[in-house]
Amino acid sequence: MEFSYEVKDSYAEVKADGRLNMVSAPKLREFVTDVIAGGSNRIVVNLENTAFMDSSGLGALIGCLKAARQAGGDLRIAAVQPQVNMVLKLTSMDKVLTAYTTAEEAFGND
Amino acid sequence: MVSPSESRRAVVIEDDPDIRGLLVRVLAKQGFDVTHAGAGLPGVEEVRLRKPDLVTLDLNLPDLDGLEVCKLLREFSDAFIVMLTARADELDKLTGLDNGADEYISKPFSPRELQSRINALFRRRPSAAAESAARGELERATEVQQSLLPKEDIRMDGYDVAGIFRPSRNVGGDFYDWYQTPEGLHLTFADAMGKGMGAALIAATVRAVMRSTGQRQDLDAGFASASKAIATDLDSSNSFVTLFHARLDASSGKVSYVDAGHGLALHVQPVGPAARLPSGGPPVGAWPGTQWPHAELELAPGDTLVVVSDGVLDVFASVEDFTDAVRAATQSAGSAHEASNAILALAPADTAEDDVTVVVVRRLPAEDAAA
Repeated sequence: MEFSYEVKDSYAEVKADGRLNMVSAPKLREFVTDVIAGGSNRIVVNLENTAFMDSSGLGALIGCLKAARQAGGDLRIAAVQPQVNMVLKLTSMDKVLTAYTTAEEAFGND
Repeated sequence: MVSPSESRRAVVIEDDPDIRGLLVRVLAKQGFDVTHAGAGLPGVEEVRLRKPDLVTLDLNLPDLDGLEVCKLLREFSDAFIVMLTARADELDKLTGLDNGADEYISKPFSPRELQSRINALFRRRPSAAAESAARGELERATEVQQSLLPKEDIRMDGYDVAGIFRPSRNVGGDFYDWYQTPEGLHLTFADAMGKGMGAALIAATVRAVMRSTGQRQDLDAGFASASKAIATDLDSSNSFVTLFHARLDASSGKVSYVDAGHGLALHVQPVGPAARLPSGGPPVGAWPGTQWPHAELELAPGDTLVVVSDGVLDVFASVEDFTDAVRAATQSAGSAHEASNAILALAPADTAEDDVTVVVVRRLPAEDAAA
């Protein structure tokens, strides 16, 4: 899995490309923690190229969301693919992790 | 849990105190926990005691020849052995011999060269010590997981109950538990996040807590206090657990249940489509302040409650496909046992990466129940 990020006007966009599983989940945590430490507390995780997520991956997203909230900001997800969407729905985590169609829309209204 | 790479040990066997000190420093910098010996025999004892992943061995020792030491070490140790020699001309001769060493380095050497050679060794294959430590942990995790499964079958008038569990190569955090009550049956079905010993230990905690809530009369109050206790335990490990807990009143067929982030329980009638029971909230430990409302369904004679782990779901393109395949397997099976086997077979053992767990509670049709 590959991570990259870009600081936009009102948020930082993190891209996570590949499979978000037990191996890559701690790396996402670490990556987002660094982005928050770098001064961005409004994070969009762009999941456009995340084809698969398991329970560890979901755990990492939850951890990142908690970290962003603790830093006074928020974390939102965008461009969620079918399998990831299925995991979010089954676990009812879609009510906690808000999904947006595109990264631009995630913080579009605030 | 300490990962093998964090607990790598090395033993330096070298009589020259300067070189010995240098080796210890270089290896310690590489993350090894290093001890040393100044001669061959004490070195052999040190290796026996420490069971290291790596040994550096000087060829010219005061008591024994380095090759002799190497032979002695190979009788009981699978550590990587790096042999050091001051005589460059010996190198060619040594490397051609099968004397048990993994790598040869001539003195003087640069710390960088030593580091890169050692890294290359560990890249080539994990050291046998690390491998057996990892295997040992996996075996222990498997034992923990197996110990969570109920030891007794359920024998309840008018019902046929079966459960099946197939562990994956990477032990997961699945388990199911059941026990009979004066009214009928309590059933818990859980999947802890992640794999290995961590997940197995969380599962063990969950099982114990859920068993203790069985004493409570009220499902909502029982689940609220259980989830609180579990969440407190999970908080420190940044983990969570999906949990389906159901109580069956056998005479009426009424099932009261709480679904925390599982979402893979189905109500299957003898004919027609199955109803998937949606989860009532996130997994336990996932999000603070969560409350899970209980829900109810009625098992009419001939109906079946099926709870399946996500190891089966992974095989299907969508939840709808999964639901329909489980429905078909359940409806065509003659018994709960047959149904659970048929559902297990939906996830072929050779491709399934996750544990697979299935519990089937079938209320017998009226004519069978009377018989």
